[in-house]
Amino acid sequence: MQNKRFAVVFSMLLVLAMVLSACTAVPAAPAQPAADAGAAGEAAAPASDIKIGLVTDVGRVNDRSFNQSAWEGVVQAATALGLTEGEGYKYIETQDSKDYADNIQQFIDAGFNVIVTVGFAMGEATAKAAAENPDIYFIGVDQFQGEPIANVTGLVFNEDQSGFLAGALAAQLSKSGTIAAVLGTDLVPPVVAFKEGYELGAKYINPDINLISTYHPGEISQAFVDPEWGAATAKQALDQKADVIFGAGGQTGNGALQEVASAPGAGTDVFCIGVDTDQWETLPAAHPCLVSSAMKLITPATIELINTYAADGTMTAGNYFGGAGLAPFHDFDEKIPQEVKDKLDEIAAGLADGSLTTGYQP
Amino acid sequence: MNSSSLRRIGQTLLIPILAVFSALVVGAIIMWIFGDNPIAAYRGLFEGAVGSARAWSTTIRKMTPLILTGLSVAVAFKAGLFNIGASGQFIMGTVCSVAVGINFEGLPAFIHLPLALLAGIAGGMAWGFIPGALKVFTGAHEVIVTIMLNYVASLFASWTVYAGGTQGQTPGPLWDTTAGPISETADVFISARLPWIFAEPYRVHWGVVIALVVALIMWWVIFKTTLGFETRTVGANNKAARYAGMNVNWVIILTMMIAGGLAGLAGGIETLGLNHKFAPEFTGGVGFDGITVALLGQTNPIGVVLSAFLLGALDAGGARMQFDSGVSADIIQVIQALVLAFVAAPTIIRQIYRIRKPSDQVESTVFSSGWGR
Amino acid sequence: MGKRRYRVTSYIIGGLILVFIVMAILVNTTSLGDSTWMRVFFGISALNFTLRASVPLILGAMCGILCERTGIINIGIEGMMLAGAFAAFVAKTNTNDWPLLASLLFGVAAALVTGGLMGLLHGVFSIRYRMDQIISGTVLIILAAGLTAYLFDRNAVAEGKFGTIAIPGLSQIPVLGEVIFTNPPLTYTTLILVVVIHIGFFYTRWGLRSRACGEHPRAADTVGINVNRFRYMNTIIGGMLAGLAGGFLVLEAVGQFQEGMTAGRGFISLAAMIFGNWMPFGAMGASLLFGYTQALQNELLLAGVTTVPRQFVSMIPYIVTIVAVSGFVGRVRPPAAEGKVYETEGGSE
Repeated sequence: MQNKRFAVVFSMLLVLAMVLSACTAVPAAPAQPAADAGAAGEAAAPASDIKIGLVTDVGRVNDRSFNQSAWEGVVQAATALGLTEGEGYKYIETQDSKDYADNIQQFIDAGFNVIVTVGFAMGEATAKAAAENPDIYFIGVDQFQGEPIANVTGLVFNEDQSGFLAGALAAQLSKSGTIAAVLGTDLVPPVVAFKEGYELGAKYINPDINLISTYHPGEISQAFVDPEWGAATAKQALDQKADVIFGAGGQTGNGALQEVASAPGAGTDVFCIGVDTDQWETLPAAHPCLVSSAMKLITPATIELINTYAADGTMTAGNYFGGAGLAPFHDFDEKIPQEVKDKLDEIAAGLADGSLTTGYQP
Repeated sequence: MNSSSLRRIGQTLLIPILAVFSALVVGAIIMWIFGDNPIAAYRGLFEGAVGSARAWSTTIRKMTPLILTGLSVAVAFKAGLFNIGASGQFIMGTVCSVAVGINFEGLPAFIHLPLALLAGIAGGMAWGFIPGALKVFTGAHEVIVTIMLNYVASLFASWTVYAGGTQGQTPGPLWDTTAGPISETADVFISARLPWIFAEPYRVHWGVVIALVVALIMWWVIFKTTLGFETRTVGANNKAARYAGMNVNWVIILTMMIAGGLAGLAGGIETLGLNHKFAPEFTGGVGFDGITVALLGQTNPIGVVLSAFLLGALDAGGARMQFDSGVSADIIQVIQALVLAFVAAPTIIRQIYRIRKPSDQVESTVFSSGWGR
Repeated sequence: MGKRRYRVTSYIIGGLILVFIVMAILVNTTSLGDSTWMRVFFGISALNFTLRASVPLILGAMCGILCERTGIINIGIEGMMLAGAFAAFVAKTNTNDWPLLASLLFGVAAALVTGGLMGLLHGVFSIRYRMDQIISGTVLIILAAGLTAYLFDRNAVAEGKFGTIAIPGLSQIPVLGEVIFTNPPLTYTTLILVVVIHIGFFYTRWGLRSRACGEHPRAADTVGINVNRFRYMNTIIGGMLAGLAGGFLVLEAVGQFQEGMTAGRGFISLAAMIFGNWMPFGAMGASLLFGYTQALQNELLLAGVTTVPRQFVSMIPYIVTIVAVSGFVGRVRPPAAEGKVYETEGGSE
């Protein structure tokens, strides 16, 4: 009798778990080292003696955003070097910002010699760990280096420039004269740079354009993971006659893009612009409206830095500026008038040779 | 201590121990179903929690604020109040401590540090006073008010360090003017920092000792003082307390203030001992965990310390578990929920392990008394 | 006395709503709309945002009312919503190749079933195992957060979501047509459910018996009502409504799942339930008010009309909630027997 009651409760828990995961039970993590969880790789003998670790910012390694971009860079570089996941390269997901130092330390203890830390918030923990471990090479994504440290590369981007291009594109596409931006949070400097660049770029084309933009109202831990707010705000902007919407802010921005994609007139009257990577590849749901993305190319820059180090042990001190610019137009390539493209090319060339500045001062 | 009281302690501990064990078993089954290796996961968890000196130090570091936020929730429960607001109180404590810590350069440490800690307590108390007073004077339920105040606190805190300059906005009052576009405070002065017991790389500070002492004090206050007696009476039977001539309203307000002060102290200790500054990404998550700690510890301060240790260890081991075995640390949260469920419903455990219910033991304490009053 | 005050309050509220509707129509059709401030307060975008933000709150509050009116405190609404959202997402991603509508409806069904199971779990914990109901609710929240994060396949993509359906005729009414009669299906469902629950609670035998279980279970038992069975039933139905709220977020509002995507909506539903005095229409009104404060906050930020730091603007919804529950409408009265385990005469285990 008593056992039966327990069995009922227990099987309910199981049923619940089953229902939650429905038919397929795909493991959550992108790739699971199936076995061998012992002491990290003493026996391992990869092609080179490089071991690459990546510490995510609070969030997931497959967040379709900057953590994922950096991790893909690590994976591609490591694969080219013949490393195996788990032994030669692995990641650790940060659960709480207080754990940055501990997570970096995990890799140091396990004998990793290239450590990628993602997010400006980890800058301090990275600098500290680098000072204590001069033989280990650190790559800090989004971490601007004020005073260069010999073994740290701050991988940074001119977000304002790609934002500027996005703004210029938006202003040229807009028929209503109102464009909008739905953003992560102004507590994170790169997001501010994107936004300011976007507005400056739009005004560069049309000084009278009506810009409506807003940051997520909540705390930083919510700002990038609130697609519902992003979607509702995009709808709000559409209701206010905005016809190009720039979604910049992780899942929150993606929510905005998807909302525009499902709005009436998507791709003909209303458009959206993505952020960070070419979101045509990462967010198929936004295809109906996605004309382009304001990119910061974390993946190739990460590969580049790792390869440089792997070749001869060069650690790039100070800042390394990764590529930033507009993504291809994909299916919208034919719909975008040639003069718009020419104008964008002209701006991009001007930004590249310094004859044009965005006017953004961090 | 005679053998019967020893047996009593054994009986009290038996259920929680079996609950933890059962939760781990169910957690293992879930991992196994979804293709993870539970043995590797638990080995990593164990090593990360207590497997080495550094693991121990991480566990202690994680446990310290949990003791205090757990006490915060527990004290409120004693008066029949449900304080979901520990995280807001924690944040306000953090902000106030930092505000003192980054000012008053040149104060000697024996003044500056206590002052900064007191500021943390005061900030938390103020944030606890609001729901207490609103409950007494307007009947607003503390659950709703504290939840809302959590949001307000985190917005307020992020404003204080807001680097609005790039957008032509006024920066927050605590913002470090040398931080450029980054929203954070300057580091608190050395004189306001809690010293290390074990310095780098262990990073264990004296906060854990403060937390343990506070737990003892709270035990004494709850069980040995008039105030504690009144609090428990109010919690057990509001009407009876009123008839007995107790000032129920005052007890409610005071209890919420004490609860807030404890959570505020946790915030102060965490900042002055570990982070040495405030930035918006420091959340009050330990405040929410305090609920689990308090419930797991049966709202008894000693129990709170033990359950804070357990949760701290689980948290500390989670990172290592993920590192070694690739199992997502989210499973820890599932295990926590199961532990809580099994402890709160001892009948389940009794049925599984066929333990007879001791005749002299009162079945689980009633914590909540609805929305009313 | 109490009744009279309640009536006066409802007149005031009714009047305010009327003024609001008139203003909304004027602002959106006449030159009054040229004023930025007027648009911030009454623009179509603010009204649409309000309804959209309110739907999950309304469903959550209905869940709370169903549970609490029969005597079960439910602070686990947040967890039920999250589980429902996750189930909807998993169901949707696994049926992407089905016709869109079928796949979406399957998602809704999964959300309902999972929400109902969470409700059943709450019932089993708090009725059979006599767990403190607040603890049980907390367990649900943590369990749902942990399990959904652990099981979430971040590479899965849900394709498509519910689109808007304009109701023929009604949608042509200026302003009101655009705001109320041009919505996706779950929004209509929610509004209809409020009416259904109101009628069910106050005009059917089921409602009378349910309320009896929450007010005076001993008396209900004496007249032959199986108190615990009613409690189980209503907790399960309530769980289904919360699950539907999660389904709304995934299938109608966003189209994707995100960990912790309920973001405190369950808790705000609780506030709406209390503010609405455990009445379906009251809770709906409270939800709309909270939704409106969120809309207002966003409108203010989008329009950029204030120089107040945005953090303070963002506090508006929470401060309004606090003011609201702090006796704006006088003290509310919860069901009398709430939170208490009911044991039948003489039965113990």
